[in-house]
Amino acid sequence: MIDALVAGLRANSCSVWGPMSDEVARGKVVERVSAHLLVACNDDVPIPGIVDALRERGVDVLTPGDPAWTERLADAEVGITGSRLAVAEPSTIALAAAPGAPRATSLVPPVHICVVSVDALVPTLADAMMGIAAGEMPSALTWIGGPSRTGDLEMITTLGVHGPRAVEIVLLG
Amino acid sequence: MSDTVPRHTGGHAITTPGDDFHERTASAVADPILQRALHNLDRRLRTANESAAAHPEWKDRAAAIRRETLLDLDGWLDRLEHSLVARGVHVHRASTPADARRTIVELAQARGARTVVKSKSMATEEIDLGNALEDAGLTSVETDLGEYIVQLAGERPSHMITPAIHKTLPQIRDVLAREAGTDLAVDREALTAWARDRLRGEFLRADIGITGVNFAAADTGTLVLVTNEGNGRFCTTLPRVHVAVMPVEKVIPRLADVGILLPLLTTHATGQALSNYVTMISGPRRAGETDGPDELHVVFLDNRRRTLLGTRYEEMLACIRCGACLNVCPVYRNVSGHAYDSVYSGPMGKVLTPLLSGGTEGADLPYGSTLCHACSDACPVKIPLGDMILALRADVPDPQSGARRRRRIFWAVWARAWSTPRGYKLTTALARMSHGRVPGLRAWTSTRELPRPARESFRDRWAKEHV
Ligand code: SF4
Repeated sequence: MIDALVAGLRANSCSVWGPMSDEVARGKVVERVSAHLLVACNDDVPIPGIVDALRERGVDVLTPGDPAWTERLADAEVGITGSRLAVAEPSTIALAAAPGAPRATSLVPPVHICVVSVDALVPTLADAMMGIAAGEMPSALTWIGGPSRTGDLEMITTLGVHGPRAVEIVLLG
Repeated sequence: MSDTVPRHTGGHAITTPGDDFHERTASAVADPILQRALHNLDRRLRTANESAAAHPEWKDRAAAIRRETLLDLDGWLDRLEHSLVARGVHVHRASTPADARRTIVELAQARGARTVVKSKSMATEEIDLGNALEDAGLTSVETDLGEYIVQLAGERPSHMITPAIHKTLPQIRDVLAREAGTDLAVDREALTAWARDRLRGEFLRADIGITGVNFAAADTGTLVLVTNEGNGRFCTTLPRVHVAVMPVEKVIPRLADVGILLPLLTTHATGQALSNYVTMISGPRRAGETDGPDELHVVFLDNRRRTLLGTRYEEMLACIRCGACLNVCPVYRNVSGHAYDSVYSGPMGKVLTPLLSGGTEGADLPYGSTLCHACSDACPVKIPLGDMILALRADVPDPQSGARRRRRIFWAVWARAWSTPRGYKLTTALARMSHGRVPGLRAWTSTRELPRPARESFRDRWAKEHV
C-alpha cells in the first residue's frame, strides 16, 4: 500500500520522503525549507516541535493564529500542512479545513509540503469515502494528488498554474 | 489568428462560420489552423482510453448509481436540499436559465459585489451567466486557464474539459499579449506565469466565487468539485460568498458513491487516475476557521431536465460531463466545438442541445452524425448516445436541410479523415478500440465479419522501433 502511494504520487510529479521517524522528518522539513525566508505552517502538522525547530534555524514561520496571517500568506514561499487520511490508489492525500488548518496554506505558496503518517493510509478511494461519510464532514475536505497543473495549452502539461508548482510529501512511520 | 472573420452571435464570436451545422462543418474542415490545433486531441485520446480500459466493472457500477438516482430524482433533490440547509447552505431552485441568472445577479447586487471569479462550469455557460453579470455592471472573470483565454478572445469553450483546444500556442500568445499590452513569448511556462499573476489579483479582489458542481451527495450535503489548476479552490477559499450552479442531475444518493464515480470521471476526462484536486465542500466556513466563504449558495438548475424523466431520453441525465464521447467522435475530432454553435458539443451536445431547448436549438445536429456509435462505446455511464441521436431524427425534424446536405457533411468529414495520415491513424485506432468495428460501419459489420485489426498497427510499431 505504501509502495503504491509513493509510486502514484511520484508519477504525478510529487516528491516523496520517508516513511521516517518524527525526529528524522523534523530534520528533513527543516532542511527543505531552511533556505526560505517566510514559511506558513498549519497547527496540525504531526511533527512535534516543528515550528520551534524552523525558527531556531532562522526561518520566519507564519502560523494561522497570527493576526497578519491573511496579508502575509501571499509572501510565504512554502506552506506546510498535516493530513490524517491518504489513499493508496488513486494516490491522493486529504486535508481537512479546521481552525488552525486554513485551506489556503496548501494553495497560495508556490511550494506545498504535506506531512502524513502511514497509519492514515487506506487502500482505495471507495474505502476512504465509506469511512468519512460515516463521520462528520469538515467544511472543506481537499484531496491533493500533485502540483497544480493544466493541459489547456495544446494539451501539454504545464505545472503551477494557480496552486503550488511543487508538492512534497513527508511520510511518517 | 485564423483567417476566418469571427462572427458574433449572442455575445460570442464564432470562429467557425456557416449558417447551419453542415456549413460550419465544411468550414471547420477547411480551416488549416484549426486542423493543426485539433491534432492535439490525439494526445488525450490515447491516455484517456488506456486508463479508462483499466476497470471495466466500474462502468456497470457507475451506470447503476446514476440510474438509481434518476428513478427518484425529485426525492434525492429533496434529500439534498434538506442536508444542505441543515449545514447552513442557501438553496435556490431555478426552473429556467433566466430564473438562475436573476437569482445570482440579485444576490450579487444585494451584497454590493463588483468582481466575480468563475471556475470552469458548463452549467454557467448553459445559462450564459458571465454575460448576464457583465450586463448587470459586474466584472466576471473566468479563471480556468483555457476558459480565460476563450473569454479574452470573446469566444465560447470548444471542449468541455479543454476549452481552448481549438487554439494553437501562437494564437494563445496573441490573445494573452493583447490583454497584457506587452509582447509575450510563445512559451507555455511564460504564458502560464503571466496568467497566474494576473488571475491572482482577480482572486484577491473578488467578492463572489462561482463554480459548477461535479457531484452533490444527498446524504451528507456535500458538493464535490474536480479541478487540476487550483482555480476552483481559489474560488471557494478567498471570496466571502460562494455560489455553486448545480444542474439537477448532479445529485448522487450517497457521498460513498464518489468512490466509484470520481475515478471514472477523471480517467475518462483526462486519463488521470484522479484529478490533482478534489474539493468536498460541506457548508460555509465554520467558527474559528481562517478562510472559506461566509455564505454558500447552491442554485438547482432544471432547464427542462425533469421533463426528460420517463422519456426515452431520460438516460441522458446520467451524463457526468467527462468529454470522452467528444474525444472519440470522428465528427467532433475533425470540426471541433464551435461548429456545433451550442454550449454542449460532440455527441452529448447533439442529444442535449435540442432537448434542453425544446427543439428550438441544434435541431440539425442529430443529422450530422456518422452513427458509428463510438460515443456509446466510450461513455463511462453507458448512455446509448448513438441510439438517442437516431431517435432524435424522428422526434425533432431537421429544420432546413435535405438529404443532400446531410450527405455532404458525411463526405466532407470522411473524405478528410481518410485522406490524411492523421485521419487514417485515428480511424484505424478507433477500429482497434472498438474491436473490429470500423466507426461508421456498425450496422454493416454487425452482420458481417470484418478482419480484426492487429493490436498494434504497422505505423505504431514503426514509430516505436525508430525513436
Ligand atoms: S455522454 Fe457519456 S461520454 Fe459523453 S460526456 Fe456524458 S458521460 Fe461522458
